[in-house]
Amino acid sequence: MKSHIVLAASLAALALAGCGKPASPTAAGEPEPTPAAKKPAPPEKTLSIFCWSEYIPPSVVDQFTKETGIKVSVENFASNEEMLAKLMAGGGRYDVIQPSEYVMGSLVKEDLLQPIDHAKIPNLKNVAPRFLSMPFDPGNKFSVPYMAGTVGIVVNTDLIKDEIKGFGDVFQEKHKQNIVVLDDAREIVTWAMITQNIPINDVSDANLEKVKPIVAKWIPLVKVYDSDSPKTALLNGDVAIGVVWGGEGAILLNENKKFKWILPAEGTHLFVDNLAIPKGAKNVDNAEAFMNFILRPDISKQISDAFPYLNTNLPARELLTPAQRANPASFPADEDIAKMQSFEDIGTQASKIDEMVTSLKAQ
Amino acid sequence: MAGLAGHPPAPADAKLIRRKPGLMPWLILTPLLAWLMLFIVVPTIMLVVVSFAERDALGRVVYQFSFANYARAFNWVWLKVLAESVWYAFLTTVICMAMGYPVGYFIGRAPQRWRGVLLTLVMVPFWTSFLIRTYAWIAILSKEGLVNSLLVASGIFAEPVTLLYTPFAIVLGLVYNFLPFMILPIYTSVEKLDGAMIEAAYDLGAGPARAFSQVIIPLTSPGITAGALLVFIPSIAMFAITTLMGGGTNPTIGEVIFKQFTSGRNQPFGAALGTLLLLIFVIALWFTRRMREEH
Repeated sequence: MKSHIVLAASLAALALAGCGKPASPTAAGEPEPTPAAKKPAPPEKTLSIFCWSEYIPPSVVDQFTKETGIKVSVENFASNEEMLAKLMAGGGRYDVIQPSEYVMGSLVKEDLLQPIDHAKIPNLKNVAPRFLSMPFDPGNKFSVPYMAGTVGIVVNTDLIKDEIKGFGDVFQEKHKQNIVVLDDAREIVTWAMITQNIPINDVSDANLEKVKPIVAKWIPLVKVYDSDSPKTALLNGDVAIGVVWGGEGAILLNENKKFKWILPAEGTHLFVDNLAIPKGAKNVDNAEAFMNFILRPDISKQISDAFPYLNTNLPARELLTPAQRANPASFPADEDIAKMQSFEDIGTQASKIDEMVTSLKAQ
Repeated sequence: MAGLAGHPPAPADAKLIRRKPGLMPWLILTPLLAWLMLFIVVPTIMLVVVSFAERDALGRVVYQFSFANYARAFNWVWLKVLAESVWYAFLTTVICMAMGYPVGYFIGRAPQRWRGVLLTLVMVPFWTSFLIRTYAWIAILSKEGLVNSLLVASGIFAEPVTLLYTPFAIVLGLVYNFLPFMILPIYTSVEKLDGAMIEAAYDLGAGPARAFSQVIIPLTSPGITAGALLVFIPSIAMFAITTLMGGGTNPTIGEVIFKQFTSGRNQPFGAALGTLLLLIFVIALWFTRRMREEH
């Protein structure tokens, strides 16, 4: 909601700025304008951000405007693909976008991003080395990490007494209609692939055929599909077990002691969300200023307070409370992170995965 | 048009009498025509064009003529999803009609001074976004929600019952959201209903059942068909309520199309499904029109 207000406010500001301009041509007979008045106006101090919903706290955006005078408009998306579709259709409307690792890979490959100037983003040094120069963007030529995270299992221990270790324990007949999972076909198929030790990016037709029976067994057990707020069904007691984002899990753990976080024994995947500048962006300098601002430890801490994902900013982690740092859903152990795989772009295979999951749901 | 058939044939010199529309009517019509062109005709053409295209790995539309999307659309999976969506929409329409008719009738026959108040009450929910109202239903129906707390506290049920994330919740959400669309057109028809007609029916010996089925229903049928269409058509494609309240376990056609444009990364296929849905609406409209003409 707030982002809409920001958007409306900045639109209004733009409109006012636009109205101001036509006044400049002088009427006939008036004295020649002074040379100073002829100078081009200073560049517009605006920035347009296209980011995930529920990911950049409005307070952070407000503080950026207060400190720099740059007016920010925020637009949200709910999936990487939604961002991609709008980016392809709308071109240079956005100055900052927030793609996840696998989309970053294809954006770099397709030459759709503007290289960033590291001299203007000194705070990049705050990022943990593990999250720098990742395979999708060697040398961070185009992006800086925003937050990372993983997918894991949350169990309501009031309702489920037996021990849950991995995906195999979640998807059992006795938990039928008691499970919430992310509403994301690739996630579900990935979990099935992990249980079969298939590398998660190896989505050949043969491998999809191999995991299909597993997914077919899992889907009738699921009660709710929700990517936006899977915590709701768990909090309301409508389901007792869920496979959810780490950040959502962390909020549940903070909410009530009855919730337990489990990193799947079979393995899971690590996602890294980034800030990047699309080619054709109009306010590149402001975008770089925003990236540097986000990487400031005190700002990064504010983001962690609101959305407890895996913070990649080392000095910011120092600012967190011990309890925040100890939240296993936010911060998995280093040796666990080392074992996690990350998504790569799978192109048109995404449609096949979508069709497979939809057809199994419809059965 | 059908109404014209009853008139005597027009005189031969009708052409001379008929006024030629001047520039003014066209000027007045321009905003409407521009609106129709920009927001209905052009998007529909785009949808149809894209439905014959292909897409690349990043989901960009590649304009290369292909029937593949339609070939894929005629698969039992999508047909089943469509059939289920039509079924939910049908159920919603029937329930809305059963609930909406008495309400519309009551308001339409209520004393003049009460009608405004009653109509406002019907429309009050529209002042809030339907998404917020749907989230409110989640709070009401969940296992630790209002209904279950009351049921358990009053001892009617020992354990909370599953209400949310069921087909029941889907239909409830749809009925709740679309009921006013049924009430309002029925109210309009009932308001115009001539009381003398009903009295005449009674005077001629009809009982209440007969007066209702043979006089009141036919006279208010324009409101009934309008209401049915206003409920049925948007219910088929509605995806927000069905995913939020149904838990996404039974995909509806609206949800499937939405996903093609996002995570499925297949706009052309989504466009093909959208075009087919559009065809169904056209057929539904044509069908009700035919029915009306027959009366």
